[in-house]
Amino acid sequence: MLKFIVKKLLQMIPMLLLISFIVFVGLQFTGIDPIYYMISPDMAANTDNIEALRELYGFNDPLLVRYFRWLGDLLQGNFGYSIVSGSSIKTVIAQRLPATLELSAFALVLSTIIGITIGIISAIKQNGIIDYIGRVFAVVGQAIPQFFFGISMILIFAIKLGWFPTAGRMSPEGVGFGDRLWHLVLPGVTLTLSMCAVLMRYARNTMLGVLNSDYIKTARSKGIPEWKVYLKHGFRNAMRPVLVILCFRLPMLIGGSVVIEEVFAWPGIGTILTQAVVSGDYPVILVTTLMVAAAMLVASFLVDVLTALLDPRVRIGE
Amino acid sequence: MELTLKEKRSASSSLMKKNIRKFLNNRLAMIGLIFMLILLFMCVFAPLFTSYDAETVDFTAMRAAPSREHIFGTDRLGRDIFARILYGGRVSILVGVVGAFSGSLIGMVLGSIAGYFGGKIDALLVRISELFQTFPQMVLILIMVAVLGQGLENLLIIFSLTGWMTTFRMVRNEFLSLKEETYVKVCEAFGMSKMSIMFGQILPNVMSPVIVATTVNVAGFILQEASLSFLGVGVPTTIPTWGNILNAAKSIDVVTNYWWLWLIPGLVITIFVLAVNFFGDGLRDVLDPKQQ
Amino acid sequence: MDNKDIILDVKKLNTSFVSDKKETKIIKDVSFQMKRGKTLAIVGESGCGKSVTVHSIVKLMPRNARVKAEKVQYNALKDGVVTEYSLDKMEAYGKEMRKLRGPEIGMVFQDPMSSLNPVYRVGDQVAEGLIEHEHISKAEAKKRVLDMFKKLGIPDPEQRINDYPHQFSGGMKQRVVIAIAMISNPELLIADEPTTALDVTIQAQIMELMKKLQVEDGKTIILITHNMGLVAEMADEVCVMYMGRVVEFGTLEDIFEHTSHPYTRALLRSVPVLDMEEGEELETIPGITPNPADLKEGCEFADRCSECMERCRKGTIPAYEVSPGHRVRCLKYDKFPEVD
Repeated sequence: MLKFIVKKLLQMIPMLLLISFIVFVGLQFTGIDPIYYMISPDMAANTDNIEALRELYGFNDPLLVRYFRWLGDLLQGNFGYSIVSGSSIKTVIAQRLPATLELSAFALVLSTIIGITIGIISAIKQNGIIDYIGRVFAVVGQAIPQFFFGISMILIFAIKLGWFPTAGRMSPEGVGFGDRLWHLVLPGVTLTLSMCAVLMRYARNTMLGVLNSDYIKTARSKGIPEWKVYLKHGFRNAMRPVLVILCFRLPMLIGGSVVIEEVFAWPGIGTILTQAVVSGDYPVILVTTLMVAAAMLVASFLVDVLTALLDPRVRIGE
Repeated sequence: MELTLKEKRSASSSLMKKNIRKFLNNRLAMIGLIFMLILLFMCVFAPLFTSYDAETVDFTAMRAAPSREHIFGTDRLGRDIFARILYGGRVSILVGVVGAFSGSLIGMVLGSIAGYFGGKIDALLVRISELFQTFPQMVLILIMVAVLGQGLENLLIIFSLTGWMTTFRMVRNEFLSLKEETYVKVCEAFGMSKMSIMFGQILPNVMSPVIVATTVNVAGFILQEASLSFLGVGVPTTIPTWGNILNAAKSIDVVTNYWWLWLIPGLVITIFVLAVNFFGDGLRDVLDPKQQ
Repeated sequence: MDNKDIILDVKKLNTSFVSDKKETKIIKDVSFQMKRGKTLAIVGESGCGKSVTVHSIVKLMPRNARVKAEKVQYNALKDGVVTEYSLDKMEAYGKEMRKLRGPEIGMVFQDPMSSLNPVYRVGDQVAEGLIEHEHISKAEAKKRVLDMFKKLGIPDPEQRINDYPHQFSGGMKQRVVIAIAMISNPELLIADEPTTALDVTIQAQIMELMKKLQVEDGKTIILITHNMGLVAEMADEVCVMYMGRVVEFGTLEDIFEHTSHPYTRALLRSVPVLDMEEGEELETIPGITPNPADLKEGCEFADRCSECMERCRKGTIPAYEVSPGHRVRCLKYDKFPEVD
């Protein structure tokens, strides 16, 4: 098992290098010349100056050299600087990441609990009232644009009813847990609901498939009570694919709330990424992408390990 | 048992009739189809339904509430929202349809290759598709926007590049099982070229689920376009799209005081996407009853 | 005969499936009595309703099934005392029914590959029913499971109870499934095509095992199969089904020596036997089994029957008792007394 884990971990490194390289190279084609962000407009008139600066910063070096220089810096903890604001990317991320994690983790946990519970109940009581409501909710939930839903929430609960703030992560004067939570509710609930729909459907269909299998019939033929049939034999088997989907959702912790952050002016990674894309701030894009990629690889690593742990067919082998 | 060609034909046409009847009996699917067609018709023949232009600015009627002249009101430049929704719908629907179709095309080609040849090519393609699938889609699209730049054509390219995975998986899995079938072996023994076996003999058997997946993707991309344009990185604001109309809702002032600027276009997107999804579900019941 | 001899009494069992708001009848007026300590074989082509019949009796049916019966009575015999249970009145997964599943009625299903839960150790899966019904300790249950494994000829039981299903071969898996069915010592064992999914040599081993259980422990067995060879070897009584109806019912001798229904005859002629003449061909039954939804009135077999008459296509064909206990649903025998 340990060997398996180490092997999987080692496999992540070339993957990460590959992704970073592809994005690095890709962003070279954007046609944005970072030099113009670094000098004042009157200096830009003098082409000699620009050339000299290019040489100084190494922008004329071959692509590979620049890539490995960037990579080297990164490994030493130097994330580079935003070419738009000039601020250290490390600082920016250190400020923003907690906000995104807070929002996404809230939604991920809540949507998991709600989605799986309703999905499983819908499968057990197929065509029952919960199944019906759940299905309508899933269908409608998948058709409403996320931001439109968010705006509607703001209008109803923030503007008309005044229960929650319209935007932001905390009040300027307010500090403490209560204030944070108060700000978190609307974006959190919006993100939760939009993440729920797919999971619910998936959990329901997986559980339905499991409940139709022969071993469920075997379990029933033993005369054990239905709740044991559902939990011990049904749920346990349905959980494996559902957990896999959950792991694959982990990258959403970092990159899954871009739109919601924009709607609720949530100061997270999503907002910087959007700004960076609009302004062509490629060092920022590069670092953000790499973070999401790392999260993604961790997720697929977890999936491998979890499947191995949960499924004796993988764990023990034939 | 021997079936004559005629009998086979009548069998397939009666299956077709049965399928059409099954679809017509599916009330939600029919409602979806009707709504979809009505909206599509109104967008394509927009000039028949409105005398306004999507671009005409009217400073005398800025942010006018819905009235007899402007049934859905006007935006901050006095442009008629009803007209903008119709003309914008053309672009939004086009983006969804073209994006989904070219995505499915890529998926079919790659899926056929991976499934038919197997081995290393297969492993590589599967790995890539997994990478694409686990990357949060919005982030992936944003990175591509950063690389390719903003613009309608670029958006179409990006959508095709991010929408091929579902089709790829389905086609590949079907190929893996179908290539072991006798009829494929027979074709190989007859010396048919790999290309014509792949695309002429095997691929047609996989089309049903692909059609269903494409329909679902059309809906998905319409939503995606709206989100991107809302963020300001989608279709350039000079072209009206459903997303660009909704961009107005970024201001809290608009949300609070000018509901028609965002509520109506938002509802139109929702209704259209809902209609496409209902239609797709109905199609799935008929074409691909295995999947739920 | 009284309830001591009859373990299961089924009268006018009807099952239908609802799909797309349409109800399709699958089982029609099935009645039979099952003698204690004997083996009853239910035979017929695929899709004739053999499996649905027994599943309807033990109420392990999918949600869209509708089961009706005049009477489904199970008579338990313990220390000479008979207890009657009306299965048709019980709730499918209610307490009463559950008390019978396991301790009274054990079930073995067709496909051992999918009948076992992949994520639990086989020992635990076998012990589960035992612990449920007898409330004994885990250690005790383990001992009983070990004994059962030994009895069923699973080699190296101490080791194997801790293995997972995927580590077993098909035949061994089916032994585990039989162990699950037998662990609570039921009187009635229902085996739904227990060997169809297995190799021929393994088939023989499994059948021998079941025969042994019946002879040595006096179990009653319902064997569902389409293999007439197996029937000849195993059964005391035979129930031939076609399109959801019992077309012929009788002792092994009745069916094999005094074959009466044209369908049974066709079925028997399609089985290869060792003393076939050279050049003699196996017969096939002409036509295919019709779709239950397309059936019209009259005898279900009429279209494929070589002796079909005009009246065969009208009304419902009753059953006639050609000799005591030998019932045939065919108008050729209408001079004999009509029975339910």
